[in-house]
Amino acid sequence: MAMKTYETLKVTQEGTVVTVALHRPQVRNAINMQMVHDLMDVVEIVADANDVDVLVLRGSEGIFSQGIDLRDFSLDKPPDIYGLQKWEKMCRQIETLNKFTVAAVEGHCIGGGVQLVLLCDARLAEKKAVFQLNEVKQGFLPGMATFRLAKYVGLGRAKSLVLRGKPFKAEEALALGILDEVCDRVSFEETLQRVVGELRPFHADALELARRLLNECYAVDYETFIGHFLAAQHRAINSQAFRELIVKAASPKKAQNALKG
Amino acid sequence: MMASSEYRRPFAQNAPRIYSVGTANPPHRYTQQEVLDLYGEKDWKIRSIFLGGHIATRHLYLPEPVNGHVPEESNEELIAKHLRGALEIGPKAIERCLTPLGLAPYDIDFLCCISSTGFLCPGITAHLIRKMGFRESIRRSDILGMGCNAGINGLQAVTDFAKANPGKWALLVCVEICSAAYVYNRSLNTAVVNSLFGDGAAALLVRCDPHASWKDGPRVVDFEPHIIPEAIRAMRFDLEDNKLSFYLDRDIPYVIGLNVRKPIGRLLGRHQLKKRHIQHWVVHSGGKKVIDAIAYNLGLTRYDLRHTVSVLRDYGNLSSASFIFSYKELCLENVVHEGDLAVMITMGPGTSIETALLAW
Repeated sequence: MAMKTYETLKVTQEGTVVTVALHRPQVRNAINMQMVHDLMDVVEIVADANDVDVLVLRGSEGIFSQGIDLRDFSLDKPPDIYGLQKWEKMCRQIETLNKFTVAAVEGHCIGGGVQLVLLCDARLAEKKAVFQLNEVKQGFLPGMATFRLAKYVGLGRAKSLVLRGKPFKAEEALALGILDEVCDRVSFEETLQRVVGELRPFHADALELARRLLNECYAVDYETFIGHFLAAQHRAINSQAFRELIVKAASPKKAQNALKG
Repeated sequence: MMASSEYRRPFAQNAPRIYSVGTANPPHRYTQQEVLDLYGEKDWKIRSIFLGGHIATRHLYLPEPVNGHVPEESNEELIAKHLRGALEIGPKAIERCLTPLGLAPYDIDFLCCISSTGFLCPGITAHLIRKMGFRESIRRSDILGMGCNAGINGLQAVTDFAKANPGKWALLVCVEICSAAYVYNRSLNTAVVNSLFGDGAAALLVRCDPHASWKDGPRVVDFEPHIIPEAIRAMRFDLEDNKLSFYLDRDIPYVIGLNVRKPIGRLLGRHQLKKRHIQHWVVHSGGKKVIDAIAYNLGLTRYDLRHTVSVLRDYGNLSSASFIFSYKELCLENVVHEGDLAVMITMGPGTSIETALLAW
């Protein structure tokens, strides 16, 4: 993948893993419009890259993000919705990316930071990480976390987290199902490596289809869903990966004949 | 390197544009329940096919009921119904397409008619010329028997004519009287067909004018077909009791789903486009299963397929005319911006997948 430099991100590639670190240390990695554009750009490049199978999203200098950067709004004109719409479009691109996505959280993860975590396939944090959806407390809304959060934690807990806006620790986020891994700060990098390793092997078709069905599972009735599932499974069992699987499962003689054919 | 989202390619600026669209249906509209009642259908398997197919209503030319039930139609009656229906809704769709531009049939230079639901000679173009006052010097083509995908094959013909004859008007008319290809023999296959297909006509007007703007309509930039010869028997007309009876293979929706990535990959790849650059998808309303298969193979969302699904729900499968109904719904939404791209997909017998790329 061709690397670019960004004003608000640090992007590195190691093997087939691209790591995107939110990087605005002077403002605790607050999310401004430039960061939204930068994220959109890097996500599109990752989507098109054939040599990438995992995207890791993390903070920098011990902080994930303190949330939306209110300094980004102009005092001279009424705020418009289109920048926030762009943010949601970018979020959807991460959520539907054709690679595995991992959120790795150190330190504070507030507002928009939590929204980013909810988009990812695997979500881990070190023990001292602190989460908070403080938007309603401040008089606005936590984006489409209003749509995603309850699917992770249930409506009651989602109300509590969004409306009371209390900070919660990594262990609590783990118990709620927002995180699926918590570790000590010292073993953070090691744990991240392990989680990335456990996601593999990477079958792009199976990932896209399974994730889409899971994301849609609360949205439609059984009759509609099974139609979707059958269409998806038909594609999966006609993939190269499944072909190799049944060749391996067959007796050595049958497999040899099939390979010849 | 520029971000791909900001990427805009000046597509063939002088490609022909679609200037107008018009559609029409028979006056009578039936719910699935009403059709079952009219045919006195009691078999629960057939009833569940009618009621579970994600179709609410269809416009149909059904015979006048006798004692609450529709009488059986002979082959002669079905053939006559096809022509009669075509000459009722075909002209309506044409008028609705031409009137907004202040045009009359006399102004049209090329007429291309598509139908797969009845065989006739002379063709529909000849009948329409006599009925509507097209010029006696008009160029014409009748495309018969290509099935649900044929609308894009017709779009290729009118686009080629328009490109070769700048300033001249080319009119595509898809007219399908699917109720003229119904056979009631109580088999599950004919039940699927009888529960799915509806009657409708649609017209598209195409012209090449270098001074036109995106507000006049999208340019028809490119086409990419894909045929699956080994599935030639998957969709076909058979003869049953001397009547044409459409056969639809059980697995063909999934086979189409699996293959649809091929033409789309070639079409987009040729223009250095990715799927995310396409704002609008105009997909044939073939049926629930094939819509699902396309959605999960191309990664299209329910939003992308909203018109495909709503046209199926409101009209059933209108064969070659369906995708033009979806295109009309898209135009009515007023959501299109300058520079937007659309991909059209139709699929039918052959087994055939036809695709087209449009640019506003």
